Amino acid sequence: MARTNTERARQSLVAAPPLVFLVVFFLAPAIIMALASLRYPGEFGALAPLVATKPGEEAGLTAENYRLFFSDSIYLEIFVKSFGIAALTTLLCLAGAYPLALLMARSAKRRRDLMVLLCVLPFASNFLVRVYAWMIMLGPFELLFTPIAVICALVYVHLPFMVLPLYTNLERHDPLLLDAAQDLGANAWQCFWRVTFRLSLPGVFAGSALVFIPVLGVFAIPEILGGIGDWLVGNMIKEAFLGVRDWPFGSMLSIMLTLCVLAIAWVTARLARLGGGRA
Amino acid sequence: MRRILVLVLVLCSAHLRADEVLRIFNWNNYITEESVREFEARCGCRVAQDYFSDNEEMLAKLAAGATGYDVIVPTSNAVETLIRSDQLQRLDKSKLPRLANTKPEFLRQDFDPDNRYSVPYAYSVTLLGYNVEKLRELGVATDTWAALFDPRQLVKLKGRVTVLDSQRELFGAALIYLGYPVNETDATRLRQARDLILRAKPYWAAFNAGSYAKELAVGNIWLAQGYSIDMQLARQDAARAGRRFRIGFSTPKEGAVFALDNLVIHKSARQVGLAHRFIDFWLEGRAPASITNAIGAGNVNRVAMQWVDPAVAANRDLFPDERALKQLQQVRDYDRHTRRLLNRLWVEVKVR
Amino acid sequence: MRRFALGVEIVAMLVVFASFFAGEARHAVIGIGVALLGAAALGGVSGAKSGGQRGVPGFWLWYASIAVYAFLYIPLAIVVVFSFNDSKLNAEWVGFTLAWYERLLADEGMLIAAANSLFIAFVASAVATSLGTLAGIAMHARRLRLLPVLVFAPVAMPEILLGVSLLIFFLNAVQPALGMVGVDFQLGLASVIIAHVSFSIGFVAIIVRARLAGTDEAIFEAARDLGATPWQAFRLVTFPLILPGIVAGALMAFTLSLDDFVITFFTAGVGTRTLPLEIYTMIKVAVTPEVNAVSTLLMLITLATIVIASRIAPDALRSQA
Repeated sequence: MARTNTERARQSLVAAPPLVFLVVFFLAPAIIMALASLRYPGEFGALAPLVATKPGEEAGLTAENYRLFFSDSIYLEIFVKSFGIAALTTLLCLAGAYPLALLMARSAKRRRDLMVLLCVLPFASNFLVRVYAWMIMLGPFELLFTPIAVICALVYVHLPFMVLPLYTNLERHDPLLLDAAQDLGANAWQCFWRVTFRLSLPGVFAGSALVFIPVLGVFAIPEILGGIGDWLVGNMIKEAFLGVRDWPFGSMLSIMLTLCVLAIAWVTARLARLGGGRA
Repeated sequence: MRRILVLVLVLCSAHLRADEVLRIFNWNNYITEESVREFEARCGCRVAQDYFSDNEEMLAKLAAGATGYDVIVPTSNAVETLIRSDQLQRLDKSKLPRLANTKPEFLRQDFDPDNRYSVPYAYSVTLLGYNVEKLRELGVATDTWAALFDPRQLVKLKGRVTVLDSQRELFGAALIYLGYPVNETDATRLRQARDLILRAKPYWAAFNAGSYAKELAVGNIWLAQGYSIDMQLARQDAARAGRRFRIGFSTPKEGAVFALDNLVIHKSARQVGLAHRFIDFWLEGRAPASITNAIGAGNVNRVAMQWVDPAVAANRDLFPDERALKQLQQVRDYDRHTRRLLNRLWVEVKVR
Repeated sequence: MRRFALGVEIVAMLVVFASFFAGEARHAVIGIGVALLGAAALGGVSGAKSGGQRGVPGFWLWYASIAVYAFLYIPLAIVVVFSFNDSKLNAEWVGFTLAWYERLLADEGMLIAAANSLFIAFVASAVATSLGTLAGIAMHARRLRLLPVLVFAPVAMPEILLGVSLLIFFLNAVQPALGMVGVDFQLGLASVIIAHVSFSIGFVAIIVRARLAGTDEAIFEAARDLGATPWQAFRLVTFPLILPGIVAGALMAFTLSLDDFVITFFTAGVGTRTLPLEIYTMIKVAVTPEVNAVSTLLMLITLATIVIASRIAPDALRSQA
């Protein structure tokens, strides 16, 4: 890409609006809450003041919250479990979404719109009502309040997040490439794996990110459908904010979660670049 | 088309009459439509309700600084927090002539001894709801918390029991069963409660706060810890659906948690006069009676009893008598350190 | 053979679905449904030819896709059908009634909430899509450092944190700042929209970037070589290419906004009601079929909107190759 000054200026102009918006309406609030993880919980919940107004009151900054986290293996257990469930959900979503996205991408032009629409339509209905529908479905199978129920609902809710990025990527693929591969003697499976899947990797990563990350923060589904053992990081964070009113602790957990996610994203991006990048 | 026009007009007129809107922050479906309309007609104003489904949500929002609510309906422990964090206005008793309609046992509570800030609204009891036929068949006693915590009883109910997904409620029940007060702060005793819970946990199906009534009414669950209002709903629904079992509920003899909801006026309220009129309207008694009849909410009003459906009024679990009331305890907020301790124990309860 | 197997699969789905109304015979009915499904699979296997040749979708692709669509739609069908359920609890089929729709149409609060939700969703997805597209393009063009983190982090952050932090920010920073300039900023639709845009930008940007990543660079270079100005290159080449990504991102932002509860709860002002706020607070009481009714209506509205939009802009979701 040309690196002339005008080119760079233009690119900065393109990046500016979202950058400004996010700095104001995300970075600033995020810093406030990141700071919150370094404070004491207030007497009645929320945050203790930064400057003590009463004698003997705990105030100011502290690393206590982080110390609590690292001094206790139980929190790590929950994190690991949540990551496991998120990974499983992502894989299942991938398995379910890929055929659908492939079909959509290869269908006749007229049908594609309808198929995308059909994919997104369920999500115009309310989330809670869909989860209740799952309760109705799982009840007779005695699967209610089990990990299977949670996974089913998680996959169900996040499937279109995988379909859409995959579809927009697969739709770009040139069928001539497949022809070429076949002419060179590849069988159907090789055609798929070596050509189609490889080319679709950016879409796969995008979709995986859009499923994996929200699932990590989810709390409603385990709450409603989960059994006694289904308690994830999202639940723990919700409990901190809306159960004990311990904002510093909740904030600390959220920061830890965000850092983990960013770390994984960075590692994945690195691997993707090393592994072959753009086809 | 006409409806859309009406909607637009309503939205516009709502904006025009912005000065006379009473903003209430209440539990969903905790006041009937007719009551709201009756009050609107009387005061010539509009009532706008926002909802919350948990005290904590409401407290979190207020703690972050949200203003604009005139009247709020918090539970006692939340009222205490609001008073102590200086978020409420004093009530002007001269504007509340009907305060005397309240049953005396609900006035002068610990958290607000002179009712300076709050007036009782309604209440519910956390008790056991169950499938009458199934539990009789299995020979499980339903008037005791042992049904929930004793492995010898639980083994008959494995996988068919749910408990509330609330730290204070579940630990409260455990503490009561062990003979300790609900607001116990001693770390050793709290750990005892945790151990009790962990012993019983393998037999439970889920920690459930929202759908146990449904599952009871359908028959997937046979025993649930829950609120009296929800159990009433489950019973009615099971009957209407023509199920072959009935849903019953009872307050365990060891005692139970009792949640008294109250009317308070927020410090930043703009419509203080209207707020007082609303509270006095509630104290009259018709509005509480209508919500009692509708959902089985406990009624704190002497005068209102005449309008309450006799079948509902006769229910000892929805309307505990004086003696039973003494067994019921209200949850009071813990201090910061006990909160953290309990949270840590809760994490163990959930994970182990 | 393939058509037959597909047909059997569809029948099996219908059978399983119908079992939810079959009462006690339910287990038997489900068994039949599953057996039919297995038969369909066997039929499919025996008569299958692997697909993927020359871009024509093969049998397996169809089969798998229909299975996934069924997975998506059976719960939805339950939602719609149960909106006619004569029971206060959303638990089992009791009887048929239109009462919930009547109640819904008379329930001003719910209707206003639905209208608000749609309005917020439209505006938020429009803004988020614009900003997200710009971000996606910028991130694809150059390996920036700050923007990807800012775009990505709201997606990574738990909603509660985002909600609480935005609330604190609005009340303690935005309100006083605007107050000094004489603007009375109150929490309301605006604050909700801003919050929704914040977390949606990331979704759109990721999709747009993935779309660009699957595109051959040569096309852009060709456009430049042919003498197109950057603006022309964008308008005639880039934009049509990424349009499906933009539309997909917009759809995603729309649905995310429509269904958001946590962030909306914290950033909504007094009196701002959205549908999720109405519905989630019903959990403690009873989530009546009125909620199913409003969901059904919302789906119909969305369906109608998209059908109309696709008539107006029929090629929005396909590349202009």
